Amino acid sequence: MTERIVIADGDADTASIAAFERDRRELLRRGFALGGAAIAASSVSLLLSVRNAFAQATGDAAILERSIQLENLSVLTYETVIAGDLLSPALARTARRLRDHEREHAQTLTTALTDLGGTAPAPAKGVAEIDEVAEGLGDVKTRADVLNFAIELETAAVAAYHEAHGKLIEARLLQTVASIMANEGQHLVVLRMAAGQDPVPNAFETGAS
Amino acid sequence: MDIESYLRDPQSRMRFFQRSGVIVGGGGSAMFLAACADNTTTPNVLTGPDESDQADVEILNGALDLELMAVAAYKAGAARLRGSALAIGKKFLEQEQEHADGLAAAIRDVGGKPNRAKTSYDDFPALRTQTDVLRFAVDLENTAIAAYIDALPKLTQRDLRATAAAIITNEAEHLAVLLDALGMDPVPDALVTGRPA
Repeated sequence: MTERIVIADGDADTASIAAFERDRRELLRRGFALGGAAIAASSVSLLLSVRNAFAQATGDAAILERSIQLENLSVLTYETVIAGDLLSPALARTARRLRDHEREHAQTLTTALTDLGGTAPAPAKGVAEIDEVAEGLGDVKTRADVLNFAIELETAAVAAYHEAHGKLIEARLLQTVASIMANEGQHLVVLRMAAGQDPVPNAFETGAS
Repeated sequence: MDIESYLRDPQSRMRFFQRSGVIVGGGGSAMFLAACADNTTTPNVLTGPDESDQADVEILNGALDLELMAVAAYKAGAARLRGSALAIGKKFLEQEQEHADGLAAAIRDVGGKPNRAKTSYDDFPALRTQTDVLRFAVDLENTAIAAYIDALPKLTQRDLRATAAAIITNEAEHLAVLLDALGMDPVPDALVTGRPA
């Protein structure tokens, strides 16, 4: 999906324009402003994908594998936006801090999975992998886009961990996941403040948006 | 007692929280009084859904006591807050009240009787400045997080565990905002436990 059409040679490609208009109308119908279309559209697929992934996971080991994959994707997302040179120095420092936290989550969860006799999934390799759960990172063009994308990603993580609380069996694992979920909520606070949003909009942070 | 003495004196903190339904042990660990008796024998595998609702009621009432105390604390501290800090205090007061209302409803749902707020909370440390209030709030939020995390696996109903996790995350968000207001790192640790790192 494209946000805008550039007609380089002056001849309008009517088929492309028609397709663009269909996409635009569809987005507007769903209540998204065109300027944030790529981010808003991606957030829907992200939330659905992550929730479906956890919905299908049964047993502590399966939930841990999905959680590690999610954390790895978060690490890669922050790596990508840091390298993208869209952030102010202060925001880049924040992004590096959040990336380090996501990495620590992945390591903690990997240790827990190993203790259960499981094997951690491989780290995420490229942006294409992120696209499987969150299309649109490649379309991020501004600082606001970055913040919106990161907010959606962290919201999805909170939602996934919230759901996991109803499924996990082992007590210590439940407590570890609660500590991680709480930290993702704190990431949301930092990102929302940077985006000029209410940092704590809900008394019950479930990741429902 | 001033806030500095309160925060530095473990005995004072223990006594204060014990009166509020929470026991605070060495190393900053905190747990709801109703849940602490079997703390050392908590199995690593969660109890099944056929366990008595009474255990959940006791834990939830411990959490309710702490939330009601937090509401009172934010009310008491509001007089010292100004500007954006006052807006934060009001917002968090409302959210702690939402937690209390939610916990009371959950207690009734399983046939229990929710505890009521104390008629007065006259044992808070002296809150003379905005910084005093923010530091006290940080301590309250950390203690609540630690107590909820301790209680989490003791809850027998899955939906209650998920609700507790949503409250823990909200308290952690409060903590980040309060630390930021104090000019401190709002996200100091990757794993939020409510205990000193």
